[in-house]
Amino acid sequence: MKVEKISRSPIAELKRHVDVIQEAFKQALIPDRITIEYPRERRKYPDNLRGFIVLDKSKCISCFRCAQICPANAIQMGFYDNFYPSVDYTKCIFCHFCVESCPTGALSGSNLHDMAFKSLEDMKVKTTQMMRLPTIIREDKQTVEYFVTKREWRLVRRKELEDLSVLRIIPKIKPKRAFCEEPESCLGCRQCMEVCPHDAIVMERCEVTLEGEVVGKGCILKVTEKCVGCGLCVRQCPMKILTLKEVE
Amino acid sequence: MINEIIATLIEIFSSNSMQIPLIQPLVDYLMEIPLLNILVALILWRPFFAVVIMPGLIVLMLYLLYIVWFERKLTARIQWRVGPLEVARPIRGAIQALADGLRYFFQEAIVHRDAHRPYFVQLPILAFIPILLPIAFIPAGNAVGIKTPYAIQLIVAFLALIPITIIAIGWASNNRFAFVGSVREALMYVAYEIPFIIAVISMIYLYGSGDPYVAVEKQSLLPGAILNPIAFLVFLITMLMATSRLPFEIPEADQEIAFGPFVEYSGMLFGLVMVLAYEKLYIMALLFVILFLGGWNGIYCDLLGDLNAPLWLFIKTIVVISILAIVRSMYARYRIDQTLRYSFSWLIAFSIVALVVGVVAGWIV
Repeated sequence: MKVEKISRSPIAELKRHVDVIQEAFKQALIPDRITIEYPRERRKYPDNLRGFIVLDKSKCISCFRCAQICPANAIQMGFYDNFYPSVDYTKCIFCHFCVESCPTGALSGSNLHDMAFKSLEDMKVKTTQMMRLPTIIREDKQTVEYFVTKREWRLVRRKELEDLSVLRIIPKIKPKRAFCEEPESCLGCRQCMEVCPHDAIVMERCEVTLEGEVVGKGCILKVTEKCVGCGLCVRQCPMKILTLKEVE
Repeated sequence: MINEIIATLIEIFSSNSMQIPLIQPLVDYLMEIPLLNILVALILWRPFFAVVIMPGLIVLMLYLLYIVWFERKLTARIQWRVGPLEVARPIRGAIQALADGLRYFFQEAIVHRDAHRPYFVQLPILAFIPILLPIAFIPAGNAVGIKTPYAIQLIVAFLALIPITIIAIGWASNNRFAFVGSVREALMYVAYEIPFIIAVISMIYLYGSGDPYVAVEKQSLLPGAILNPIAFLVFLITMLMATSRLPFEIPEADQEIAFGPFVEYSGMLFGLVMVLAYEKLYIMALLFVILFLGGWNGIYCDLLGDLNAPLWLFIKTIVVISILAIVRSMYARYRIDQTLRYSFSWLIAFSIVALVVGVVAGWIV
């Protein structure tokens, strides 16, 4: 957009002065206030806004993908009966990469957006705290919503109150499975086998006898039905020949 | 002996006391109580009433509490914000200024190492001499501190002294922001003082006297704003410049030089220097009302008696200041060179035209 040259004629200047005085008196009498009186007014957030992260322990397979993908380094894996994530909300940037990367849907978002902590230590939310849904204390008297267009920006206030129950937003999980793209490039290092938490990767024995006879089916990776598609083997493979593929 | 002195004092006070029919029974009752009667007589003594109560110090304090809150609230409304609210929520944060004042009072006033210590501490208090002395000369009907035919000239002379204290405050602070602020204050002083004095002189020519009583009497039909609209305009603009309000908030520019000459002050000393501009605005608005808006002319209520004049003067002053407060949120700040150019070209030209209008109108009237 190009800025137009402003007319400096006295009539135009006077008109601008009148405009500003008119606008100021209009706003002084009937203000279009756009700030939110926070505890007394609750802003209506869009449905897809990312919020507090909840953990379903029964689904977690301790694949560490959430901890590895976190760009802010906010997730730490703590050991209970297995490794489970805990989120440090002093660092968390609410990108929800962890939720999206979770292969089993153990982590999920919720519609809780305004969290309050009593101290800095409390912001390091433990796994046990992530497993239960928190509750919201109602302080708001009305609901407000921003109405933004290109020309206009105003705040709409409504008397009806929002439902404050915290819900899990269940992520849609497409089952995936590890798949070997080039079996002929396999080194047979068996790192994938070692890293797999479910013993889903089976390496068949392969030997070449002195007579030049091949015993066994060869160094072929076999992904069994146990695979949950956590992708640890994909990350571990030194030849980068493994990929995750969606299955029906 | 003491009884005679008290009796003499009461006689002096009663001979020149405010006649307010509304509270006359109460006054009569209190005058019979010993020791209390001398206090009541003192309060109702006209010079004391004018200087200390109305339009003097107590009303000035109430005005300060009101205007700080009102200006912040009005600016907030125009800028789509809420403004001060959480102190006394049922009355929309109206005692915010009082809370701030209390906080200043109990805060430590730090005098930094580079400051000129005696001047740094003294000057905020010394600055009150030229600001508060004009109150003694501003009359409100019968209530007047010192009655003199040169009251308007004296008020202007005292107002001209205020920037000197502010420049000295900036010098004593020994800080680069304070230094820039004092230089700007000095430049602004030159810029507004000449048109301001010429505008006042034009009104003195128009009324033929520097006596506020004559000025108010001559405005009984038409207010001075209609008799000499150009002087009205020049006075209004120079009032904004003199009290460093926003289009001309150049010496104290918050965003550039962080409150200018007052940057180093804290605690009670900051509270004192912060209200300097507001108090100057009050004095100038009183002068403005006397010169241009008919002073204490208004609907006379028999029940209030002598209180009518101070009340009307006060109401007009508050209305003028409240309207001026809105200017803060309308305009952006001018640069120092723009202000100097406008004032040395347009404002001085307008003020000379106003002088001519004043002389001609004074000759006709």
